[in-house]
Amino acid sequence: MIYPTTHLYFIFLIASKKHIDLNPYITPMSDKNSTCNEKVFDEFFKSHSKLLRNYIYYKFGDLDQAEDIVQDAFIKLWNNCSKVTVDKAKSYLYTVATNLGISITRHQKVKFKYQDYVTQRNTDVNIESPEFIALEKEYMEKLKNAIAALPERQREVFLLSRIDKKTYREIAELSGVSVKAIEKLMHKALLTLRKTIGNI
Amino acid sequence: MLGDKKDDIFLSRWINGELSEQELEEFRTHPEYDHYVKIMTGADALDLRDYDIEKELQSLKSKKSSQAPKKIGKTIKLWPVIGIAASIAIIIGVFLYNPNSSFVTEYGETLSVQLPDGSEMILNAKSKASFNQENWKNTRLVSLEGEAFFKVKKGSKFTVETTNGEVSVLGTQFNVQSQNSFFEVNCYEGKVSVVNRANTAILTAGKAYRNIGSSAEKWTFTGEQPTWLTYTSSFKSIPIEYVFKELEKQYNIQIKTSNTDLKTIYTGTFPNNDLEVALRTVFSTLGMDYNLSKDRKTVVLEK
Repeated sequence: MIYPTTHLYFIFLIASKKHIDLNPYITPMSDKNSTCNEKVFDEFFKSHSKLLRNYIYYKFGDLDQAEDIVQDAFIKLWNNCSKVTVDKAKSYLYTVATNLGISITRHQKVKFKYQDYVTQRNTDVNIESPEFIALEKEYMEKLKNAIAALPERQREVFLLSRIDKKTYREIAELSGVSVKAIEKLMHKALLTLRKTIGNI
Repeated sequence: MLGDKKDDIFLSRWINGELSEQELEEFRTHPEYDHYVKIMTGADALDLRDYDIEKELQSLKSKKSSQAPKKIGKTIKLWPVIGIAASIAIIIGVFLYNPNSSFVTEYGETLSVQLPDGSEMILNAKSKASFNQENWKNTRLVSLEGEAFFKVKKGSKFTVETTNGEVSVLGTQFNVQSQNSFFEVNCYEGKVSVVNRANTAILTAGKAYRNIGSSAEKWTFTGEQPTWLTYTSSFKSIPIEYVFKELEKQYNIQIKTSNTDLKTIYTGTFPNNDLEVALRTVFSTLGMDYNLSKDRKTVVLEK
């Protein structure tokens, strides 16, 4: 018996074993739980796209770009629907979108853009409140400026809370940190805003 | 309170309406209170440009159809496949280009090997030999474990290396047997030098050298080549444990000795191609009874 032959045989044994390991990629999923199901996918888009778009905007400062990122992220989800179940789709989406945002803005320091993007609520009762009427146009401009100048994390938390009316717990879940951390950021955001706006 | 450095979530609690009545009362009289109310009122009136979900979904669908999703089950990651292919190539490469050639014989097998310079090596049963093919021109060196017969072409020094010692020659025919502490060299042609831990011996044709444990001996023999090349094992005044070992190697059997004196000296031969004849020959000479198991794998000696 000659040695080299034994070795070759052994190697191919390893190789064929590895092939079996590739199989988990082709596990089929139940339809109801699959983002490949068009109905499930549409529902998912309707309930998650708006908040994702706002979240990405607060993070990266450009609303048009945020809307493009949302489109790209959902396309990526669709293309990988066999691997991403509905219960994992949300965190998948936020991760993909955030990464897209980072790769776009990596080489440019983007200033937070609020003109044309941030408007005033016209359906809210608050607008009729005497406190609001007392606010001058000039003050609103100053406030928007101050928000734009907030550090990213503070702005993100502040706007998710004020514009999207998300609770601290919901915000904490989105960004994967503790509720306490969100409360601290919110407190800090207000202090920063107060400092920037000054006395008028 | 607001000024309290330790309470770093005071304003968050205020926004959420989580302040106690007393805390709220105190805050209201604070000079900063009005400023914060203003900020909150202003911020709560802010909104974003509208987001038309239906329209966005439609535009997504038009992009989706131009980028059809991959079918389930067709996803095969490329990198692992490339990785496997590369490792196979490398491993095969390592073995193919490994200049060390190894040869192994199993129970009852013999194997004739042509060495790079035309010299011949014939391995007896249950033996192992290896040599470096690339470096053969410079050093004719074979590592041996077991027994082999060599017909060496004239040339540079030819060395057989064993754990028991080295045998080197210029061009000759000789047999080397080395297992455990048993070491025997028979020279059939030419001149052989044997270097052992303690001894050196020069063997000319027809001379043999043997070393068992620490005792060495030399003797003369007749014959053109080792008898095992013609399927016969032959022994000259050797302790029977080595005869038994040779039987085990030739026939892949196990000999169970309970209270046999293994040091008994034996001289004789047995065939390597007929188990029953071999057993009868050996044990009748020794005056021992034996039993061969049904599967022909075990021999039990009876006193």
